[in-house]
Amino acid sequence: MSGIEAFSPKGMLHEGWSTQVDDYAIVCGWALEGKTFLVGDVAGGLYAFEGKSGKLIWQVKDTHKGGLLAMSIHPDGNTFATAGQDGNVYIWESQEGKSTKNLELGKGWVEHIKWSQDGKFLAVVFTKYVYVFDEKGQEHWKSEEHPSTVSAIAWSNSNELATACYGQVTFFDVVSDNVNQKLEWRGSLVSMVLSPDGDIVACGSQDNSVHFWRRSTDEDSEMTGYPGKPSHLAFDQTGTVLATGGSDRVTVWSFQGNGPEGTVPGELMLHTEPISCLAFSHSGMLLASGARDGSVFSWFLQKDGQGDPVGGAFVGNLVSQIAWHPDDSALAAINANGGITVWEFKVRSKTTPQ
Amino acid sequence: MSTKQKVPVTILTGFLGSGKTTLLNRILSEEHGKKIAVIENEYGEVGIDQGLVINADEEVFEMSNGCICCTVRGDLIRVLGNLMKRRDKFDYVLVETTGLADPGPVAQTFFMDDEIRDEFSLDGIVTLVDAAHIEQQLGRSDESSEQVAFADVLVLNKTDLVSDESLDNLESRLRDMNRMARVIRSKQADVSIDTVLNLSAFDLDQVLQRRPTFLEPEYPFEWTGVFTLEEGRYELTLEEGPDPTMSLVLLLDQGKDETSLNSGAESCVRLYAEPEQPLEPGNIVPVGKHVSLQLQSSGTKSFPIDVDKARNIGLFTQHTAEEFSLKITKVKNSTTEDNNSDQNFSEISPAAERVWVAEHEHDDEVGSIAIERVGDVDPEKLNRWLSRLLSEKGVDIFRTKGFISYEGESRRIVFQGVHMLFTAQPDKEWGNEPRRNQLVFIGRNLDEAEMIREFDKCLV
Repeated sequence: MSGIEAFSPKGMLHEGWSTQVDDYAIVCGWALEGKTFLVGDVAGGLYAFEGKSGKLIWQVKDTHKGGLLAMSIHPDGNTFATAGQDGNVYIWESQEGKSTKNLELGKGWVEHIKWSQDGKFLAVVFTKYVYVFDEKGQEHWKSEEHPSTVSAIAWSNSNELATACYGQVTFFDVVSDNVNQKLEWRGSLVSMVLSPDGDIVACGSQDNSVHFWRRSTDEDSEMTGYPGKPSHLAFDQTGTVLATGGSDRVTVWSFQGNGPEGTVPGELMLHTEPISCLAFSHSGMLLASGARDGSVFSWFLQKDGQGDPVGGAFVGNLVSQIAWHPDDSALAAINANGGITVWEFKVRSKTTPQ
Repeated sequence: MSTKQKVPVTILTGFLGSGKTTLLNRILSEEHGKKIAVIENEYGEVGIDQGLVINADEEVFEMSNGCICCTVRGDLIRVLGNLMKRRDKFDYVLVETTGLADPGPVAQTFFMDDEIRDEFSLDGIVTLVDAAHIEQQLGRSDESSEQVAFADVLVLNKTDLVSDESLDNLESRLRDMNRMARVIRSKQADVSIDTVLNLSAFDLDQVLQRRPTFLEPEYPFEWTGVFTLEEGRYELTLEEGPDPTMSLVLLLDQGKDETSLNSGAESCVRLYAEPEQPLEPGNIVPVGKHVSLQLQSSGTKSFPIDVDKARNIGLFTQHTAEEFSLKITKVKNSTTEDNNSDQNFSEISPAAERVWVAEHEHDDEVGSIAIERVGDVDPEKLNRWLSRLLSEKGVDIFRTKGFISYEGESRRIVFQGVHMLFTAQPDKEWGNEPRRNQLVFIGRNLDEAEMIREFDKCLV
């Protein structure tokens, strides 16, 4: 890394704990109401740490032959699912790391899995197909073949699933097996996020733009001019602002009034290399961002998309994912070197002279 | 920019049955100390034996702007994106494409996608050609011509199934289509690993270091004979022929295999560029010198060759041996040899021969245009011309390579392009080297005369 000096956590990020896993840490999340922090590495290692202390509770090695690709923690936090290059999905219980179910989809990668908000369904992307399983692991629904590999999924409500692939976003009712809506755009969609009310669909596109649709009015717009692919997108809990990567700054579009069309986005500039992950807190307008240079920042955003940094830290390697504790009292970051860092997030009660 | 070494990637193209899998297996099983990840297309001919192999299904993604050079391979971006996270598992990547794939989107992926560009560098494009069937394929499909046009290396495979004469004709046809590529012959994809890996074909500076002129030369000689000789004196004899003189270079220790012949040819191209020395009959043929045999007198002309110890010699001649009934004979040394030995003046047959085919009529749509000019170029004029050329003809221009001498710039400017994607970077200082320009375009239905005229207008 050139020209970057490591700095200790500043502002509202306070020393918590840090540890190390065996390989590139690729997925993470909080389970069991935040008591446990789960991490998966690319080689298929799974780890559970005590949320407060960082003590290792359990670990499992070599879970997915060829490599682990995705993890989704059930909304109740008691179980979670992992998927990988072996074409399998495993369901685990969080307490002891015991596998409770193995779903074999075939020869191909399973790149995306996601529990529905009510935890009734698990959506699984297997190449050009999407499957929905119930909590018991029974297949509940399977999509037709998509025109190309499915690149992103999102639940818009407990029965409706959105899928993105080259050229289209499709909304499926997985209970009545209907296609509710199809939004078309000739481009390679690489990421997708829905606003909390489900009306706005935002996709990052291979042509370095963000494309979005309003489902209620069928209007679509395109935000161009990104230097890179916006692979990371995040809506705040109110659906007012959309944070996007695609460069070394976080570009924030505000949906206030008639926006974001015709408005100037907020630009959060402190990272020195492209953004590699984004996450909004569970309440309030707090955004955390991580970048390829190993820097992590937290920001307070205003409704117009402008924001101010409230904390920063440097973890030394590409930040692959960040996760807010369920009560926003901590922020966790995992990195390409297998490093795990958890900070307490709070307003300083008294300033310590640095 | 991170200072991390980028992982080199070789793209392997070629029609079904051209031997890609054989070549892949050879590369993977050879002891080269590399950890290679292979990205195979879903319809691979047969499974690869070992190594880290990932299947991908050639998803070609166009962009909304409709620009051909923004078209990328979505599956490659996904697979390479995941491979980046397993850097400990491999240090080289090979991407195999199906016979029907257009190499354009594969190559463009390495220029167009920011994340891929940061982690991987396109090392080169290798196209396997089935010597027995390529003629029909070239006539029938655009893909095969494009695969030839994009190649940095053309491996002419299954040469055992085709006569030498057809091979020579085929090779010159391929060379006409693509003058940048090196042509390598093989029987069962048995080529050495370094002909397909670490080519640095997209790093012109390295290419030029290895080969001062990266154009596959049109050789100034038509024939090479390699002779295995003992110590002693030999006679090179020539009969009446079509010309009163003939150029020749004699090299010592010339190997007989394809690679040695090619590298011998490379050095002879340079020797041939030096002024020739006339050599009258009866004079000894010097080693490593460009000589012009004086053949004006009638009857057999003879030139002695002295060999200091048993070795192979290579003769690189302006015309073929047949045209002058060229022979090498051992001169019998009457004092030491007994008379019952072989006949006096026993003729030595060449241990290896190679005919370098001269230019011929070019009738493929795909062809190469080479512009070579000394002097300086006006950067603005050149920019205007190239921008216009690439916007009008970019779809039909597959590869561009070259270097330019800008007026007022002390460094050489190196060009690289795939379709309309174009980079120009300053590279090493000219120093005392004569300043010149060399540009090659490989494309479909290009107007050579017009392009050269346009280029000449850019000269200062």
